[in-house]
Amino acid sequence: MSGAVTPKPPGLEALRRVDVDVRDDIRAGREPFQRIMATVKALAPDEALVLRAPFEPVPLYAVLGAAGFRHWTERLTVDDWRVWFHRSEAPEPAQRDADATLDVRGLPPPEPMVRVLECLDGLAPGDTLTVLHERRPMFLYPQLDERGFTHATDEPEPGLVRIVIGRPATE
Amino acid sequence: MTGMRAARPSVTLPLAYLASATLAFVLAAVATPWLAPELAGHYYHPRVLALTHSITLGWITLTIMGASFQLIPIVLARPLWSERLAWWQLGLMIVGVVGMIGHFFIGAWSGLVWAAALVALAVGAHLVNVALTVRGLQRWTFTARMVTMALAGLGLTTVVGFVLGLDKIFRFLPGALFANLHAHVHLALLGWVLPMMIGVAARVYPMFLLAPEPAGWPGRVQLWGVGLGAPAVALGLCGVPGLLVAGTVSVAAAVTGHLAWILTMVRSRKRPALDTGLRLVLTGALALSLAAVLGVALAFDLVAGPRVALAYATLALGGWVSLTIAGMLLKIVPFLVWYRAYAPWAGRAPVPALAELSCARGERLASRLLSAGIVALAVALWIGDPAWIRVAGSVVAAGALALAATLARVLTHLRRRAPRAADALAVRTA
Repeated sequence: MSGAVTPKPPGLEALRRVDVDVRDDIRAGREPFQRIMATVKALAPDEALVLRAPFEPVPLYAVLGAAGFRHWTERLTVDDWRVWFHRSEAPEPAQRDADATLDVRGLPPPEPMVRVLECLDGLAPGDTLTVLHERRPMFLYPQLDERGFTHATDEPEPGLVRIVIGRPATE
Repeated sequence: MTGMRAARPSVTLPLAYLASATLAFVLAAVATPWLAPELAGHYYHPRVLALTHSITLGWITLTIMGASFQLIPIVLARPLWSERLAWWQLGLMIVGVVGMIGHFFIGAWSGLVWAAALVALAVGAHLVNVALTVRGLQRWTFTARMVTMALAGLGLTTVVGFVLGLDKIFRFLPGALFANLHAHVHLALLGWVLPMMIGVAARVYPMFLLAPEPAGWPGRVQLWGVGLGAPAVALGLCGVPGLLVAGTVSVAAAVTGHLAWILTMVRSRKRPALDTGLRLVLTGALALSLAAVLGVALAFDLVAGPRVALAYATLALGGWVSLTIAGMLLKIVPFLVWYRAYAPWAGRAPVPALAELSCARGERLASRLLSAGIVALAVALWIGDPAWIRVAGSVVAAGALALAATLARVLTHLRRRAPRAADALAVRTA
């Protein structure tokens, strides 16, 4: 079975494709996140990242979404996914999703920390990011403090730690 | 909900412990071929005791202490009570362990007792520090219970070892010398190292294997098996044969529970490929199963004698503990160095992945030499041939040097210090 998960957005074909295939990396046990983020940072406004992965990269949606990217997903086969990441129009402040959620459960250290800090890069003053984790990230907290973010942690259920991180509005 | 300002976990403190421990491992490994004639004889030889304590105290205990200072904040979600005390503890441990090894080597017992007193002080500092760190802990998980049990075992092992040292001078202990010595060894192995390793494994292996945290009956078997079995084995070795058999069965059940959990985690892992660190950890688990079989055979008098005992000790301390520790070091050291050198950059500029800090070829070389060398050493010690002990010991020494070189390469990233936040931001903006 193959096909798009959602309808293809108009205008995608007009963008220049920058292809990144991480299927071999993941099969070999290599973490591809840094490679993806390096590519994203180098993207020009008229370019789209076209990612090939052996599974739907759901956590990446939140990371890149907070950095202003939209995505469109195609499932080519059961273990072959193609996702287009492209810059969205700058949202109006009133339309901004001020409470994004990032699930970093199931990631090896230090990937949860890297993804959270990447995500915070795009956080506007007054917005919050809710992080879902398997444990209290004791090494992340000092980084948040040093960068001036507020944070509060609770454990709504066993095995789930929720950290709400905010960028102060007065910044 | 908690939102207090967090204390920055120390990176240099655990790294200082781990570097000292690795140095002790290299020295012990290099000394092994050199001590081949002594190792081909009886294990109750001053130089063999010096070698054993350089492994048990210098390598294993220092590593566990250092790793605790990194892992306790993660697994128990609270900062260490006093880093300053931990630094004092390191100084005491280094002076004490060097003194003990030196005095064992030359067979000077009064000097040994003074050095052992310094080690006992360091252990006391560790127990106080960790006890004050975990006080008020609300959720006593499997790991927290096992770590607590291990610390009690460390305290008891230290006291018994110190008393054994005093007995070398004043000759006051009842019972046979070897019975007391075997009790001390098994208190260390089953009362200190075993609960610490299986307790931490239950929390840390899932993190690295990307597997669900283990649960169910094996946990209860491990808790009760070690809690009842370790003291029973120690008392049994002191002259109550019934307790020895019951304790051995109990500890064997705990080891089986631990291995069952590892198997479950490996099967349910989301990480398809295993890196060298994890392969070493799993090889260590295989060595544990072999050591457990040999230990049961020794307890039931199916095999006996100093040669088998040395092979058993090598499989336990070298195969299980050392390979597991080496594997964990290949995970822990790169993380600590990455955190120190690159975490301030994360989110602001491209940072290297953890695997990029190390040398995969060096890791594989160290893993193969250590795994093959330790198995060969166990066989050579069983046979008792000095020439084969020398060959196998040389392979272990080469593996230890490869491990140390690989870790040293990771440490070179510390020189690439992260810039101040403002500088990092400037880089990103540019």
